[in-house]
Amino acid sequence: MSLGCDHCLLDFPEREAVRETVDGIDRVFCCTGCQGNHRLIRDEGLGAFYDGRRWEERGLAARPESPQEVEPFRAAVRPVPGGLSEVDLYVEGIRCASCVWLNERLLSRTPGVAFARVNYATHRARIRWDPARAGLETVLGRIRSAGYLPKPYGETEGQAAQRRETRDLLVRLGTAAFLSSQLMVVTIALYAGYFQGIDAETRRLLEWVGLGLTLPVYFYSGAPFLRNTVTSLRRGRFNMDALIALGAGASLAYSAWQMIQGGEVYFDTAAMIVTLVLVGRYVESAAKGRASEAVARLAALQPREARRIEAGPGGGVEVRRVPVAELRPGDRVDVVPGERLPADGVVREGASEVDESLVTGESHPVAKQPGSPAIGGTVNLHGSFILELTRTGSDTVLAGIIRAVEEAQASRPRIQAVADRVVGVFVPSILLLAIASTAWHLAGGAPAARSIMIGVSVLVIACPCALGLATPLAVLLATGVATARGLLLKGGDVFERAAGADEALLDKTGTVTRGRPELREVVVVESGLETGDALRLAAAVERRSEHSLGRALVEAARQLADGPELEVVGFAAVPGRGVEARVDGAAVQIGTRALLAEAGAAVSPAADARARAFEERGDTVAFLARDGRVLAMLVVADAVRPEAREAVDELSRLGLRVGLLSGDNRRTTEAVAAQLGISDAVAEVSPAEKRERVAALQALGRQVLVAGDGVNDAPALTQADVGVAMSRGTDVTMESAEAVLVRDDLRLVPELVRLSRRTYRIIRENLFWALFYNVVAVPLAMAGVLHPIVAAGAMAASSTFVVANSLRIRRAVPVRHSR
Amino acid sequence: MSLGFLIAISLGLGIAAWLGFLWSVRSGQYDDPEGPKYRMLEDEDEKSRKGRDPNRMDDPGEGR
Repeated sequence: MSLGCDHCLLDFPEREAVRETVDGIDRVFCCTGCQGNHRLIRDEGLGAFYDGRRWEERGLAARPESPQEVEPFRAAVRPVPGGLSEVDLYVEGIRCASCVWLNERLLSRTPGVAFARVNYATHRARIRWDPARAGLETVLGRIRSAGYLPKPYGETEGQAAQRRETRDLLVRLGTAAFLSSQLMVVTIALYAGYFQGIDAETRRLLEWVGLGLTLPVYFYSGAPFLRNTVTSLRRGRFNMDALIALGAGASLAYSAWQMIQGGEVYFDTAAMIVTLVLVGRYVESAAKGRASEAVARLAALQPREARRIEAGPGGGVEVRRVPVAELRPGDRVDVVPGERLPADGVVREGASEVDESLVTGESHPVAKQPGSPAIGGTVNLHGSFILELTRTGSDTVLAGIIRAVEEAQASRPRIQAVADRVVGVFVPSILLLAIASTAWHLAGGAPAARSIMIGVSVLVIACPCALGLATPLAVLLATGVATARGLLLKGGDVFERAAGADEALLDKTGTVTRGRPELREVVVVESGLETGDALRLAAAVERRSEHSLGRALVEAARQLADGPELEVVGFAAVPGRGVEARVDGAAVQIGTRALLAEAGAAVSPAADARARAFEERGDTVAFLARDGRVLAMLVVADAVRPEAREAVDELSRLGLRVGLLSGDNRRTTEAVAAQLGISDAVAEVSPAEKRERVAALQALGRQVLVAGDGVNDAPALTQADVGVAMSRGTDVTMESAEAVLVRDDLRLVPELVRLSRRTYRIIRENLFWALFYNVVAVPLAMAGVLHPIVAAGAMAASSTFVVANSLRIRRAVPVRHSR
Repeated sequence: MSLGFLIAISLGLGIAAWLGFLWSVRSGQYDDPEGPKYRMLEDEDEKSRKGRDPNRMDDPGEGR
């Protein structure tokens, strides 16, 4: 029977339970660590944490394996007024609002801590304390004591710039909104005066107030547009900013001229164009900042340090933590289980298995013994070893791949946003119309001043303020929909790119497969033996093994009902061959044919033929023997995700041609492709070749979507029109992709395509209608009979339409396969 | 001249709101748009509700 731990919620076997009775309620924990955490939280009076938390994922929030390092945080500590110190850091392991609450409460109760605030969206904490009463160690220790892990937080240059830009836009927007709301009052009075009559003096006063309110909107709030207009005109291009600067500027100048002439003013048009476009810009910038923050957070979880073995004082050795950048060839570093190798090198002492799938695409863990070369960036699975570095810094395999990513970035075709494409045609034609109507009226004998004003009024009426909202609003809503489904998107142009994708290349290992070995089949050779019993026997032995194959067996055995207790003694691992032990007095071996041959167990030719059939498919077969008799074959493979087939079918239904790309061997790749119904599978490709394949397809005019998880996919992801990274991927991968699957579900890839197509269609509709309403009024302006109500109506109608149409994104996409 | 007076009042109120807005941006209130919806539902725990120094050891609110 298994129980659920009251702290971490994981299931565990009953015999391992740690029990405690608290306030008359029996509590069970999977280990004393969880019990300690539970006690600490309870003793602080924060037991409400357990009532309020909403964990979708079970297990400990963070796995603090290594001792807390204080040094990396020191640089970030700064003094603040009042003699206090302040630090910003990430708290790893926050999963729900309750976690934020718990951390804030625990910290603010620590003696000496004056202030603690954790950001719900970014999981960043700001903590202020009195250095005389508490140290940095106390603060960090407190976070760890509750099972969370503090991580140093360093803002990159790009993020800081993004944050400054967002804040700057917010101030400009707020200012414009305040001024526009004041202007609206004045404008309504003027409109009322237009219909009901108004005395000249009052009208003059209102017009002056209007002018005073509009000038700062145009020149302060609109400054970013003015700046961009200057730079784009210098390059001979009309973009959105030029249209806005031109349209708002024209209505401002027109109104100022009309004030002198005694005609109607349109200050509200100028102010509203700038304000509404700023809304769009702010929304866009804030969303971008949030996405890059989320990616940075995922990336911050990866270690950037290594433990270097150095000559200590008195001839001994000392292990010191150093930044990866400080490592040099010849250095010896200590690598512990679960850790990423800091650089390329050769194993000197110890043995282990390394997961190289993220760098090479190889699906099987690779065994490492003294003398084996190892690649930086790969993950050590179990066992520790000492690595002597051969290549560091920019010479490593990983750095080579990152260079390829940068090259791909530089050569990547930039698409021009649909709004800019439309504007690029629209602005010159409106300018031509304006000039034509001026010329027409001049030719017709109208006074020069009036003719020019008619030309300007064409510009005023044609400039749609809804245009600035058309794209950002749709993008914002679609991004919201995507985030709710578990898709993190960086920037709005991913919708335009993904909407046009007609080719999907999927990486094999870790993308369409799970990326770790799983038990696929148990083939019983010994007649009369149940598969369950064979698996139970194997799992009982493998429970002591740290080999990834063994873990797969133990994992599979968890699904079985408990059988009789087996007594395992004398466990021994035979490197490269398997394991052996005595179970209930019988000698049991699990491993290769060679291991069994040593134990005197012969594999029958029939069984051997079946095993070879599995191996032909790229699966790994382990033989189970007891007392010299082969009992069963355990087939282990990197299993295809259960939803992969559905995702592939869905992509084909959407009209995309699906291909499989893998760095793994041909046999395995083709077996997986056959399972998924993919005819186009390419195996044994290097990271650079993956990128070349994408580029070759692009050269044929195809728009390529690539999904992958490894560093080896990063160049291809960058080259692709749309790169989709899996969340278990590396930081390089996530940074090079436009979209990250935060929820581990491959069906989100077709979902992204579907959502993008819909969003793109809505953006185009928005653009059309934003322009349409205004363009209809252009003939009136050209005729010189522009009515202020027509101008106001066109503006209001187009804005309302754009908002209403964008809202459809949220409603109309059906929620599918939500978990 | 009552109209000018009304415009002045309106502008004055607007400027006050605008200054408030500038202050709220500067003090970082727009940095965490997620938080407030959770924080408003949090119960103040006993220790801080009593307005005591949460760090005092003799707090009778201990051990709930």
